[in-house]
Amino acid sequence: MFGYYISLALRSLRGTPVLSALMVAAIAVGVGASMTVLTLNYMMSQNALAHKDQVLYAVQLDSWDPNSSYRGDRNPTRMPWELTYQDTQVLLRSDIPSRQVAMHRWGATVTQDDSELRPFIGQVRVTTRDFFALFDVSFLYGGTWEKNSDNNSIQQVVITQRTNEKLFGGENSVGRTINLNGNPFTVIGVIENWNPVPKVHDLNNGAFNDSEALYIPFGLHRKLGIYSWGNTNSWKHEKELEGRGYEGFLQSEMVWIQYWVELESDEQKQRYEDFLSGYIREQKAQGRFERPLKFGLTRPSEWLVVNQVLRDDNRILGWLSLAFLLVCVVNAVALLLAKFLRKAPEAGVRRALGASRKSIFTQHLIESACIGIIGGLLGILLSTLGLVAVKSLAMGFADRIAHMDWVMMFAAVGLAVVASLLAGIYPAWRISHTNPSIYLKTQ
Amino acid sequence: MFELKPMLSALWRNKVAALLIAVQLALTLAIVGNASVIVDDRQDRIARPTGMAVEDIVSVTFHPTNSDFDLSGAVQADLDMIRRIPGVINATHTSHIPISGSGSSSDFYREPNQNSLDGETANIYYTGPEFIEALGIKLIAGRNFTPAEMKIFNPDDHYTSPVTIVTQQFADVMFPDGNALGQFLYTGKNDPIEIVGIVERHLGAWVTWPLAGNVAFYPALMDISFGRYVIRAEPGKRDQVLKQVEEKLAQRDSQRVIHIKTLSEEFDEGYAKDNLMVKVLSAVIAMLTFIIALGIVGLTFFWINQRRKQIGVRRALGATRANISRYFLLENCLIAGTGIAIGMAAAQIGNHFMVSNFSQPALPLSVMLACSLILLAVSLAAALVPALRAANISPATATRSV
Repeated sequence: MFGYYISLALRSLRGTPVLSALMVAAIAVGVGASMTVLTLNYMMSQNALAHKDQVLYAVQLDSWDPNSSYRGDRNPTRMPWELTYQDTQVLLRSDIPSRQVAMHRWGATVTQDDSELRPFIGQVRVTTRDFFALFDVSFLYGGTWEKNSDNNSIQQVVITQRTNEKLFGGENSVGRTINLNGNPFTVIGVIENWNPVPKVHDLNNGAFNDSEALYIPFGLHRKLGIYSWGNTNSWKHEKELEGRGYEGFLQSEMVWIQYWVELESDEQKQRYEDFLSGYIREQKAQGRFERPLKFGLTRPSEWLVVNQVLRDDNRILGWLSLAFLLVCVVNAVALLLAKFLRKAPEAGVRRALGASRKSIFTQHLIESACIGIIGGLLGILLSTLGLVAVKSLAMGFADRIAHMDWVMMFAAVGLAVVASLLAGIYPAWRISHTNPSIYLKTQ
Repeated sequence: MFELKPMLSALWRNKVAALLIAVQLALTLAIVGNASVIVDDRQDRIARPTGMAVEDIVSVTFHPTNSDFDLSGAVQADLDMIRRIPGVINATHTSHIPISGSGSSSDFYREPNQNSLDGETANIYYTGPEFIEALGIKLIAGRNFTPAEMKIFNPDDHYTSPVTIVTQQFADVMFPDGNALGQFLYTGKNDPIEIVGIVERHLGAWVTWPLAGNVAFYPALMDISFGRYVIRAEPGKRDQVLKQVEEKLAQRDSQRVIHIKTLSEEFDEGYAKDNLMVKVLSAVIAMLTFIIALGIVGLTFFWINQRRKQIGVRRALGATRANISRYFLLENCLIAGTGIAIGMAAAQIGNHFMVSNFSQPALPLSVMLACSLILLAVSLAAALVPALRAANISPATATRSV
C-alpha cells in the first residue's frame, strides 16, 4: 500500500509540475537558509572537551579592581578571564588537582641552523607539562617535559605533526634542535595534530583560530622576557614595581594567564575550593584581592557559554532563519491546499470506490512527505552553497565551522520532511473530508 | 462600485486560503522589518569614516630571527629606505596597525593620581611624527610631534610621554567644553601629558568597540622583539609600493620574517562579521520576498481556476475585463492589507525581543512603513498576472455546463 501511495504521489507531482516545483522550491529554500545558519550555530556550539566535561575546570580568581568593573564590563561583578603570574605560581604548587595547566599564547620566529627553510612565525603556547595529558593530546614521538622545566629555564619544545612535517619531513625529530627568536630549543616530543573547534581551552584569542604549532615550558619567562600574545589587562598603577623591569611585570596585578585544573571527584573539588578560598583570604590579609572573596571553577561546556562563543548575531540569525522556515511552511500549506483541492474529484472517486477517509489522508500526507524529501535534498545543496558563501564573506573566521557533517545532512532532510508533513496535515485532512457525491455528480 | 460585499462573502468562503496568505505576509513583514533595521545599523557602522587614507596604506610587521637584534637601528634604516621608494608619501613605525583588531588601550584622567572610577578609555599608539602623513589623517589643531620628543623605551620602563596628540572625539570626551588643546591628561600617575595636537579622526584598533575613535598618540618607539610600519602610497600606487617594500626589506635584511598587508584587507577583515550579517540578512529579505510572491501567484491562479465559472457568468452578465481584474486585485489588497496590519504588530513584538535580548537597534516607524509599502507592492505585482489572465476567461465558459 505504501509503495502504491508513493507512486500515486509521484504521479500527482508530475501532473502539476509548476505547483509542485513551487512547493519543492519553498521547502528547499526554507531548509537551505535555516540549515546554513543552524549548521554554523551547531558547529560553534561543539565542545571538544565533552568527554572530560565532568572533571575539567577553568580557574578564575577575582583579583580585579574593587572600584571598577573588569574592562568596562556591563556586569560589575565579572571576574577577569585570566590570572596574574604571581597567583599562578602559587596555584601551580598545590598538589590537590590531578593535573593543572597554566598557559598563554605567544609567538616566535622559527629557524633551523644549516637549513634552506625560510624563517616563519610559529604560534607558540607557553604552558606547563600537564597540558597534553589534561587536554588528551596524544604524542606521535617522545613526550612532554619534566616537572622541573615548569619553573626552570630549560629550552625544550613540543611540536605538532604538521610542524614536524614542515621542519623535519615528518621523521622522528626528538633530540633535534630548532631556534625560536634565535634561541636553540631541543625537540622532545611531537604531538598528533590537535585542533579543537571552537578552541575551548583558549577562548579569548579567537575561538575559531588554529591551535598553536609549538609548545614550550612555563619556566622560560624570565630567560626570554616573554610577553603574552594574547590579552594582557591591567588596572592598577604599581609604583613600587617601577624600575624593576620584567620582574616588575611578573609581580604585577596584570592578568594574562589562562588556568585549567582536573579534579576527578567532588571531594577533590571541595578541597580545591577550600584551598582557593584560603589562598584568597591569605592574600586579602596582605592587601590584595580587595573585592569580595570570589573565584570561578567552570566546566568546559559552561565556559563556552559564558565566553559567548555563540555570539548574539548568531542567535539572531538562528531565530530569523527559523521564522523564515515558518513562512516557507505556511507557503507550502497554501500551495498544497490549492493542489489537493484541485484533485478533489479524484479523491471523490476513490472515496466512492470504498477508500476510507484515513487512507485518503495517508495518501496525501505521503505526497507531502515526498515533496519534503525532494525539498530537503535540494535544501542540502542550497545550504552547502550558502556555507561556501559564508566562508568567503567571513574572511577566514568561519573556515573551520562552515561545513556540514552527516548529522546536519540528516537533520536537513528530517527538518524538510517534518516541515512538509506539518504543512500537509490541514490540506490532507481537508480533502479527506470532502463529500464525494459533489464530484460524482458532474463527472 | 468596489463590490466589497460580494468580495467579503467570497473571501469568507475561502477563509483558510486567504488567512494563509495574510499570515505569510505578516510573518514576512515581521522578519523583513527587523532584518532591515539590523542591515541599516551595520551598513552605517561600516560606512563610518576611518579618518585614514585606508585605500593607499600598506602595513608591515617584521620579526627578527636572532635574539640580539637592534630594533631602533633597524627601524631607522628601514624607514629611511622606504621613504626613498618612488610613490611613497611617507612612512612611520607604529606600535599597532590601525583597524587590525590588535591594539592596546589605556585609561585617562583629568587629574593626577586618580583611581579607576572616572577614567575614560582610549586606544594608544606609539608612533613617529610622520604618522599624520603616513596615515593621511588631518591635524586640525595644535602641532605635530617634534623629532626631539621622540623617545625609545623598554616596555618595562613604565615610560610616560610628556606630550600626546588625540582625536577630536577623545578630546571632546575628556574636555567637553572644547578647550582640550594645551590641557593635561593623566594615566593614573603623577606625570602630566600635554595635549599638543588634535587630529580630526582615527578609528583606532577595534572597529566594533563601542568607544572606537577614542585614540591618543605618543611620540615613541617601544623596544620589543618585533616592529611595525605603516606606509602611505600616492593614490593608485599602493600595490606597486607594496611589492617594492617587500623586495627592499628582504634585501636589506633577509634574516627577518616579514608580513605585508594592505590596510584595505585589515578593514575588510575588521568588518567581516558585520558584512556577513548584512549579506546574509539581505539574502534572507530577498528570498523571503521572492517566496511569498511565488506563493501569491500560485494561490491566486488556483483561486481563479476554481472560479472560472463565476467569472464567466459575470462576464456574460456584462462585467468588463477591467472589472474582473480589478476585482482580484482589490481582493488581494484586502488580504495583503490585513496581513500587513498584523505584520506591523508582529514586527514590533519581534523588535522588542531583539532590543531586549540582543541589544539591537529599535525599529523606527519609517522603516516599518517603507517595508509595508514594498510588501504591498510585491503582493499586488504578484497578483497582477493571474488577475489579467482571469479577465481573459471567455463568457462562453459560463454557458458550457451549467
